[in-house]
Amino acid sequence: MTPSTACLAQLSRLCISANKPAVNFISTRSISSTATRLAPKTTKTATRGSNPQKNKKKGEVIKKKKTSSSFQQYDLKAMEQFSLCDAMRYIRAFEVGKRPTSVKYEMAIKLKTLKNGPVVRNRLRLPHPVKTDLRICVICPPDSAHATAAKAAGATLVGEEAIFEAVKDGRIEFDRCICQVDSLAKMNKAQMGRFLGPRGLMPSAKMGTVVKDPSTVLKDLIGGAEYRERLGVVRMAIGQLGFTPEEMQRNIRVFMEAVKKDMGQLSEKINKELAEVVLSSTNSPGFSLNGDFRSPNSVTPRELSTS
Amino acid sequence: MVSVVRRMRNLRTLLAIRLGPGAAVFPPEVNRIHMDFAAKPLDGHMGPRKFFKQCLPRLKFHNPAVPMTVNRTTDITGPATLTIHFADPATAGKTSPAISSTTSSTTSTGPVAASTSPAPTVRTETIQMKHVHESEILSQVMALTKAKIVLPTPEEEQEIKDLQQQRVESEEISKKAKIAKEARKRAEAVISAAREST
Repeated sequence: MTPSTACLAQLSRLCISANKPAVNFISTRSISSTATRLAPKTTKTATRGSNPQKNKKKGEVIKKKKTSSSFQQYDLKAMEQFSLCDAMRYIRAFEVGKRPTSVKYEMAIKLKTLKNGPVVRNRLRLPHPVKTDLRICVICPPDSAHATAAKAAGATLVGEEAIFEAVKDGRIEFDRCICQVDSLAKMNKAQMGRFLGPRGLMPSAKMGTVVKDPSTVLKDLIGGAEYRERLGVVRMAIGQLGFTPEEMQRNIRVFMEAVKKDMGQLSEKINKELAEVVLSSTNSPGFSLNGDFRSPNSVTPRELSTS
Repeated sequence: MVSVVRRMRNLRTLLAIRLGPGAAVFPPEVNRIHMDFAAKPLDGHMGPRKFFKQCLPRLKFHNPAVPMTVNRTTDITGPATLTIHFADPATAGKTSPAISSTTSSTTSTGPVAASTSPAPTVRTETIQMKHVHESEILSQVMALTKAKIVLPTPEEEQEIKDLQQQRVESEEISKKAKIAKEARKRAEAVISAAREST
């Protein structure tokens, strides 16, 4: 008898399982299918893919990232650092055969700073300017004392009528234009504004390009360079490949002092610190500097002075 | 700023600048090296180009005071020459290296180093580089100048071994990653195909 009862019990269970889930199956399916197929279509299809399961998975994985208020800082203990002469020796090897005036040394100063707030930015004049091929035009009588002084200071074009004629013919062969005060009336009479104005070259007192003594402005114009902190790093071209180590040292010192001074002049609440100084060039990797001029086994600065 | 790890990886190229073909020290009488060849690597100008790209940086690193100039023309039919200038060996060792800075006193406010000239050139040797392999150019330069080859120090040899080890390991890892990626792509393709059919 026992086997028959067991068999019956099994049968009855089978019947239940065959009936009950069938009802359940239909009902759950009808709910679930609408839920899974309709919900994403109405809400998510516009932005995400058509696969609802994938979207669901993604949504679960995404966690809210912690946003840091300051830029990431690295541990420099493992970083190999170089003295200036060693870095220059490597860079000069990387840049062999290139034109010594066209290849530039670049400097990047990483700061410990907040992502928001004021940034370090300023203009400065390096002791040895990097970009010296700026063509400057000075408008003053060609035989005056100002003209000779301007030519000595590095102006490429000096004159009055000759320049006006050239500009009217469309030959504008300069990047900056300075006017001497006494020549201003003549320049306005020649209607230079029509030609120079659209190019942003027209001298005006507001811009500081109408001056009494052009030669003093010239030096600033030729050697001036701007720097600005971007993403926690201040970058600037610091020298030409043909500079000697001593000249580079002078440029770097002036630049670093200027940046430090700017950091100090920011409001008291903001604290910026120097994190790292990296020297690189147009085609070389970056060399983290250790602040020394030369190391015990580096070559003499004299050997790095040929261009 | 680029992360420290990535910058350190870049700096591994420094080993390749210190050692390899072209790592040699010239005797003091070598005054300057000048190369003349075409910018395009056609008609026999490939050897000179490779010599310039691969060997010249190493020569410059070990001889920082020797000016090395390169003039690349647009004319591939022209010659490809390498000229070595020699000074008098008797005086060459005594005169200090020349100074020639690109600063000018008109623009600089700091002190500008007065440029000095190197020991006068007494003879020049020219190597015809057209249709010559870079290793052949290098061996000719070494023979003409009697340069001393720089050999790796024990530490540098260790560094080279470590780098090779790293390279082997990273290759294995990339192989594994490639297999895993392919398997994942295959699985994804099967799933998407099944979805499209339903």
